[in-house]
Amino acid sequence: MKRKNIWITGLLSLLVLFMSACGNSSTPAQDPNSTSSTTAEGTGQPKDGGNIIIAVHEDPRVLNPLYSNDRVTLTINQSLFAPLYTIEDGGEKKFVLAESLTPSEDFLTYTLKLREGLTWHDGQSLTADDIVYTMNSILDEKQNSSQRGSFVFNGKPLTVKKVDDRTVEFVLPQSSASFEAMLATLKPIPEHVFEGGTDLEKSGKNSNPIGSGPFKFKEYRPGEYVTLERFDNYFGGKAHLDSVTYRIAKDPNAANLALQNGELNMRKIDPADHNKLNGTGKFNMVIYPEGRLNYMVYNFNIDALKKKEVRQAIGYALDKNELIATAYGSSEFAEPGTSIFTPDTQYQSADHEQYNYNADKAKEMLKAAGAENLKLRLAYANSNKIQEAQALVIQQKLKEVSIEVELMPLDSTAYSNMSLDPNNTKFDLSFNGYIMGVEPDAYKSLYLSDAAYNYSHYKNADLDKLWDQAAVEMDTAKRAELYKQIQQTIADDMVVYPIAFDKAIIAVDKRYGGLDEARPKPVFMFEDLSKLYLN
Amino acid sequence: MQKYILRRVLQAIPLLWFISIVSFALIKLAPGDPVLSFVTPDMDAEAVERVRQSLGLDQPIYIQYWIWLKNVFMGNLGYSVSNHRPVLTLIVERLPATIGLMGSALLLSLIISIPLSMYAASRQNRPADRVLGLISYIGISIPSFWFGIMLIYLFAVKLNWLPSMGMRTIGVDSIWDIMKHGILPCTVLAFMNVSVYMRYIRSHTISQLEEDYVQIQYAYGATQGTVLRRHVLKNVLLPIITILGMSFPELIAGAFITESVFSWPGMGLLGINSVFSLDYPVIMGITMISSVMLVIGNLVADVLYGVVDPRIKTMG
Repeated sequence: MKRKNIWITGLLSLLVLFMSACGNSSTPAQDPNSTSSTTAEGTGQPKDGGNIIIAVHEDPRVLNPLYSNDRVTLTINQSLFAPLYTIEDGGEKKFVLAESLTPSEDFLTYTLKLREGLTWHDGQSLTADDIVYTMNSILDEKQNSSQRGSFVFNGKPLTVKKVDDRTVEFVLPQSSASFEAMLATLKPIPEHVFEGGTDLEKSGKNSNPIGSGPFKFKEYRPGEYVTLERFDNYFGGKAHLDSVTYRIAKDPNAANLALQNGELNMRKIDPADHNKLNGTGKFNMVIYPEGRLNYMVYNFNIDALKKKEVRQAIGYALDKNELIATAYGSSEFAEPGTSIFTPDTQYQSADHEQYNYNADKAKEMLKAAGAENLKLRLAYANSNKIQEAQALVIQQKLKEVSIEVELMPLDSTAYSNMSLDPNNTKFDLSFNGYIMGVEPDAYKSLYLSDAAYNYSHYKNADLDKLWDQAAVEMDTAKRAELYKQIQQTIADDMVVYPIAFDKAIIAVDKRYGGLDEARPKPVFMFEDLSKLYLN
Repeated sequence: MQKYILRRVLQAIPLLWFISIVSFALIKLAPGDPVLSFVTPDMDAEAVERVRQSLGLDQPIYIQYWIWLKNVFMGNLGYSVSNHRPVLTLIVERLPATIGLMGSALLLSLIISIPLSMYAASRQNRPADRVLGLISYIGISIPSFWFGIMLIYLFAVKLNWLPSMGMRTIGVDSIWDIMKHGILPCTVLAFMNVSVYMRYIRSHTISQLEEDYVQIQYAYGATQGTVLRRHVLKNVLLPIITILGMSFPELIAGAFITESVFSWPGMGLLGINSVFSLDYPVIMGITMISSVMLVIGNLVADVLYGVVDPRIKTMG
């Protein structure tokens, strides 16, 4: 090849990389090094300025809180959109955009008062009109908001009206003990941005979201990152950091290397990666209860599992501590599951049979039930390392009581689909997990006889009544008793076998402080990133 | 020539139609329901059904296909089920990144593999040939994700020479920065390509070296280098054109695994996310564009055969 041709080839090569450079461009980005950040290490004093890069595993879906269901979108929206208030672990309200919520004596009307001087990221005032607009949009069936079910009671939606610029009234068709918790999930969207739009989900306005949280939208490069910048008029005080970038890191192994390399500053990691990353000395490991239950599901469509004693015997044959030690690597990363409610949920109780490991008892029960030498199929998602490890332990433990377990690793999508099929008989046992929050009423969608998410396909009309009673019982003591009965019934019927209450592990670059003030939070990693700062 | 191209284009239409039917059917037969990713425990059966209707998934599969086909003819590839953005926009956003990466890898692969494989062929069964053969076997055998992770570990974490992920440093808009980010994924792809191309070109070169015209050149006193450069290279161009033709769809579809490991924001990453979320309009969009590129690639290769070797008639 002539020299000239080699040059042409070289130039062509440069040209194609240049094409990459030219594509995908949106707004010009700011160099994080040019911020007012100070990097004096080890002072521990909050400093203003700087950026943090947080790893997320995929692109956000729709940056509109009416449609955020997935972990990534929820995480980004947490910084973009402020809630009216939050419910703390003890059940108390912590007001954010709202300054009060007052129920009427009959608990049918709730009056919400907004703080004074609230503004959206574009400078417009945030008023009662926005709250009414948001609620009506959620209730509008045509908008397909996933939150609608939270504000419809026995088929009847609540009504909302503006009293004055800062006051809104919610009128419920019936009293509901869960209403306050459900309203805490509402994050207002601006009426002046969306009004006139017919389909909020597909609206182009979602690509430049206007929120009311501590950070405002700056830039989104699909497949690369979303950057938010500090909102100086945030009512809760200016954030320390200039900006927050959510960087899409698809491969977990590569993401861990990028974390070590400093290209990422924060990432939710797997228990298996904890020791290795911790050993580098570069990270603070924030370990906290994620409010998630990891459990084994009994399939009630299977004849062999219809006898309660068989399900209970399987429970006695398993050892939670061994399951946790093997699957999580250490008891530091999970606690034994003691109830269908996670510890952060109101009225959680462990006052029922815990099915502690007792192989002899399991054998006796199986013999008495005439279920010796059972053969069961245990399904799990083949991409889930924890489930895979659990499956192997369960196979081994059940062999000790003469139950033969066939392992069924499945593609996660197919697995999810089969699990939700009400007539599923393709496997007998399976794994699942959920984060339902602090409100116990939310759990009924997993255990009501006709619930779409009733993975066990368990039907109990008496239990359904208890759930319904608890949902409208406004007396705290009576409500606690009802939920205690519910947890006892489900434990006694051995509908599911609670394995562990998971803990989340967040690796954060040691240069960042304010981790306690930012408050670790299930799903979002941290509740309030405005409190983070560079040391 | 124009008639030939027109005929090939017309022949491609039923082929693409057939591909679209098979692809659509395969996606629909795959286990899983895209609606589930929108369903929350709060939603009742009616709400789930409304979501299904809004996505057009309540219709029978042939109606869904018909609607999709009609929209395609109007230049509309539909909307992503996941984020409701137009599929065409999603693809156009990712194309430059993929063409840049795959194009660079392809060029680099050819620049490396042609001289190496010709050299190996000229040293057939000698140590140099065996070493290159071994390297080629290694390249074909090792998984690209493992090789990518090893490169990241060495060059990004240990030596700190190169960035480990993405296409740019946050907030930095420079071509040099993008090129730096492209070096590692480009190396992985090029190494994989070179390993395959070398075996292909080497075997073709060996067969050329046994031809009479080569022996005649040697008889006239030509050196091996001259014979390879001036005479054999021209004849080796045919398999190279075939490689190029077959690589056209990759230029557009990207490399699922490599883009995933390096979080390179191209079509491969879009494709893998779409597959996992059963985002069938995006999967169909990528499949159809790749198919069109394959047809175009083959057509261009066929035309180039005639240009490079006039003995091959493309008009017939």
